[in-house]
Amino acid sequence: MKRGSGWILPTVTGAVLVALWYAIKGFWHIPTFVLPSPGEILEAGWQERRTLLSSILITGRGALLGFLAAVGIGFLMSLVMAFSFRLKQSLYPYILMLQMTPVIILAPIFVLWLGQGLPAIVAVTFMICFFPVVANTTMGFLSADRGWGELFAICGATRWQEIRHLRIPAAMPYFLTGVKIAGTLAPIGAITGDFLAGTQQNGVGGIGFMTIAYFSQLKIPALFATGLVACVLGFLFVGGVSLLHWLLLRRWHDSFISKGEG
Amino acid sequence: MRVKDGFNNLLMTDPGPLVRLTGVGKRFGDGPAVLENIGFAAHPGDFVSFIGPSGCGKSTILRLVAGLTAPSAGEITVGGAASPAGVFLVFQDANLLPWRRVSANVELPLMLRGDSVSVRRERVREMLELVGLRDAARKFPWQLSGGMKMRVSIARALSVSPRLLLLDEPFGALDEMTRNRLNEDLLAIRQKDPFTALFVTHSVAEAIFLSNRIVILSPNPGRIAREIAVPFPYPRPPELREAPEFLSLLAEASHALRSVLAP
Repeated sequence: MKRGSGWILPTVTGAVLVALWYAIKGFWHIPTFVLPSPGEILEAGWQERRTLLSSILITGRGALLGFLAAVGIGFLMSLVMAFSFRLKQSLYPYILMLQMTPVIILAPIFVLWLGQGLPAIVAVTFMICFFPVVANTTMGFLSADRGWGELFAICGATRWQEIRHLRIPAAMPYFLTGVKIAGTLAPIGAITGDFLAGTQQNGVGGIGFMTIAYFSQLKIPALFATGLVACVLGFLFVGGVSLLHWLLLRRWHDSFISKGEG
Repeated sequence: MRVKDGFNNLLMTDPGPLVRLTGVGKRFGDGPAVLENIGFAAHPGDFVSFIGPSGCGKSTILRLVAGLTAPSAGEITVGGAASPAGVFLVFQDANLLPWRRVSANVELPLMLRGDSVSVRRERVREMLELVGLRDAARKFPWQLSGGMKMRVSIARALSVSPRLLLLDEPFGALDEMTRNRLNEDLLAIRQKDPFTALFVTHSVAEAIFLSNRIVILSPNPGRIAREIAVPFPYPRPPELREAPEFLSLLAEASHALRSVLAP
């Protein structure tokens, strides 16, 4: 398929889905408070635009902070674990355990410790993003080619030189995969966070908070619109992370080069 | 043995061996012996090829000399010292770092040993010139052919002017024409920038064309079965491969290799 025509198929699919939506709603006479039409959702979204914009900023801030903390701490933790087998053995089961504990159980604990609001939301996001970063990056640090290690040994490289010039670049693709997964999870984490621990000012809170608010007010089209807004936030994150991925790997990594041209 | 003063001293006072293996044996863990009682010395300027069947420990000899693994028995000295400083290994696959450009790959050993940027830049230019890859400096490894990758690998190895170059089947994965071409170029490079070499190969013809000594190893465990001297002077023209003396030596060496396999 030619480049540039990639938007045709998704657009057609979208149009078909919207048509189907209207058809189902019309055929069975489904009321708006059960299933609003796409038009009604967009209209509600437009009416609530100030609120929704604020909520996207509130949630986005929590998501970004939690995501950055998870990426930074995850990277350092992996580095440490990759170079000390004992530390890895001691820590990894507990990192796994944290991952196994559902966030909805952790959230009230965070609220207990940190209070309602941003710190608790950041903590929830962190918990959800941390594991994919650690798991992938640790794997990356450990999977540098043996021959490369020998090359550095023959060159008499110091430990730090090996980390800086071999381990970190070799781990980059793995690390960025972890970051990508974390990027898709961060908005979900933050929305879960403000669903469970969010606060409001003049009736405006994060996306998760607004979901509850609209639901309790039976503003159903606006409730659906928060879903749309959550998608936008998700795409912003994925877009940012993909851009980073592209910037760092496009020149040399297999995922960006077609071997046939070499 | 009076060679304990390092390489320079040794060259000035006594053209003794640059690398010496005495009674070297190697086994990995509790496994069977890979090498047994290897005694061998290479002198400055030697180009020694090791041939032998798969699993006879040819590559292990290079890895021992490079200091990548320690012998289970015996002693290895390089330039009179026990540490393998000044030794560089050219790996089986070119072993380039995919995230570094060609120039940065060649530069790596210089950077790791702490040369200044200007020294590095000049040396990289020289090396790429030497291996005929001046125009590829800005490319990434994936943009190169197998032969070009190997040239980069050789340039990287020579950048630090090692006194001993170890080459572990460097051209094994290349087609015959590319391999012959690189053999000729390797000798041409050596005319300009002399080095002592230990070379592992499966190809008898390649061993004869390149080296002045051929060591034939027998397998299980690897031992030195025979050594053949190659009397042809350097520089060697490509036509040497068709000369009767070359072909008769090829027959002799092939026969020797066969008798090692089925005594």
